[in-house]
Amino acid sequence: MRRILVFSAFALLLLSTWMALTLGQIAPVKRNILYAHVPSSVCALLCFVVLLIASICYLRTGKEVWDCVGAASAEVGAVFATILNVTGMIFSRAEWNTWWTPSPRLITAAILWFLYVVYLIIRTSISQSQRRKARVCAVFGIIAFLDVPMVIISARFMPDIHRPDFSFNSPWQSAALMLSMLATVILAAALIWLKTDILKNKTRLEEETIF
Amino acid sequence: MNYFCESLWAIFIKDIVTEFRSKQVLPTMIVLGMLIVWVMRIVSESASAGNAVMGAAALWISLLFSGLLTQERSFAVEEHADCMSGLLLAPVEPETIYIAKLLVNIIMLCVFEIVVVPVVFLAFAVSVDGRWVEFITVLLLGNIGISSVGTLFSAVVGLARTRGSLLSIIVLVILMPMMIPATFALLQLFNAIPTEISGIGTLAFVGSFDAAMGYMVAFDAVFVVACWLLFGFIIKE
Repeated sequence: MRRILVFSAFALLLLSTWMALTLGQIAPVKRNILYAHVPSSVCALLCFVVLLIASICYLRTGKEVWDCVGAASAEVGAVFATILNVTGMIFSRAEWNTWWTPSPRLITAAILWFLYVVYLIIRTSISQSQRRKARVCAVFGIIAFLDVPMVIISARFMPDIHRPDFSFNSPWQSAALMLSMLATVILAAALIWLKTDILKNKTRLEEETIF
Repeated sequence: MNYFCESLWAIFIKDIVTEFRSKQVLPTMIVLGMLIVWVMRIVSESASAGNAVMGAAALWISLLFSGLLTQERSFAVEEHADCMSGLLLAPVEPETIYIAKLLVNIIMLCVFEIVVVPVVFLAFAVSVDGRWVEFITVLLLGNIGISSVGTLFSAVVGLARTRGSLLSIIVLVILMPMMIPATFALLQLFNAIPTEISGIGTLAFVGSFDAAMGYMVAFDAVFVVACWLLFGFIIKE
């Protein structure tokens, strides 16, 4: 099942890349980075939603699997947040001749990346008690999510160098974007699933070696 | 309610008295704050930006970093002789402990500000043109926000190998969004920026002084309530 997910994600990614390069190309070639930038931003935010849900479920039920889901989604989210920031910076340099400027959306995207990284640092730096580590991480996941509405608000409603009124010229372009969005979301889901299994096996192995 | 107030007062006054008798952290905080302000003054010696901009930055940075010292202390004092178990065994809700510790940290920051804010005014030659009530409100809102997250996570600092540095990255990353309206409000009070700002950028993101205050109140309310509700999970063994 997971293999099918990964393969379909890669097939869709290839298809959307081909579409973005041929039928759905946007006028200056540099703007085609949008096909990687927008889906990764959506995925970075979705991973945070998964992290929030996993954190709440962990605190309510105390089941280890939710902790693994949270950790996995944070790791995948960190990857997508990195892609989001890097592609954004590359585009910004090409389009506005600056790597970074303190505009709301750029700041909030940076904050999003920092939140993921700090979550991962907390996981590695608490080693005494597995259960307390999981609880602290879950609490941080919930507190950190309270910063996320700002990211969404800034992306939609705030005056920014991003143009919210940006529209596509042809249906091919929006089709390519939708395809790459779908592919990235499927890829993210498959990665979270894979990482959760790895973490679950790791904790089981650790328990067995202790006793 | 009466019982809540009594136990709150007991924990609060215990912490305040031990701090003022032992003077463990307050002198360090104040000296660190003053050092940050003076270092900022020295590095901005030839800056083209107005002094008010650097003054606001120095005030918030010294508050953030000195605040970390008192927050780290709030549960570190309980580690000695296993006081934490005693506190947890006492017939009080964990939430009461959180509120008491939060109040202690806010009071500590207020005492800190009594010394450091005049230093900022002297070093950067800023003035608030008689808008003292607004200025004190902004500082108080800042104190509450800075203390809320730090007090929650200080309970787990003892677990981490890296101790204080873990608390600092947690607090700084969560507080980053609040620093946008907080800086805006101070810059307005220091007359460094016009009353209404429109266009693109972080300052336009906030817009006006009232909006900045609104953001800070909302931020404080959300984080105090969330930390208060989640404290029980953090502290459980």
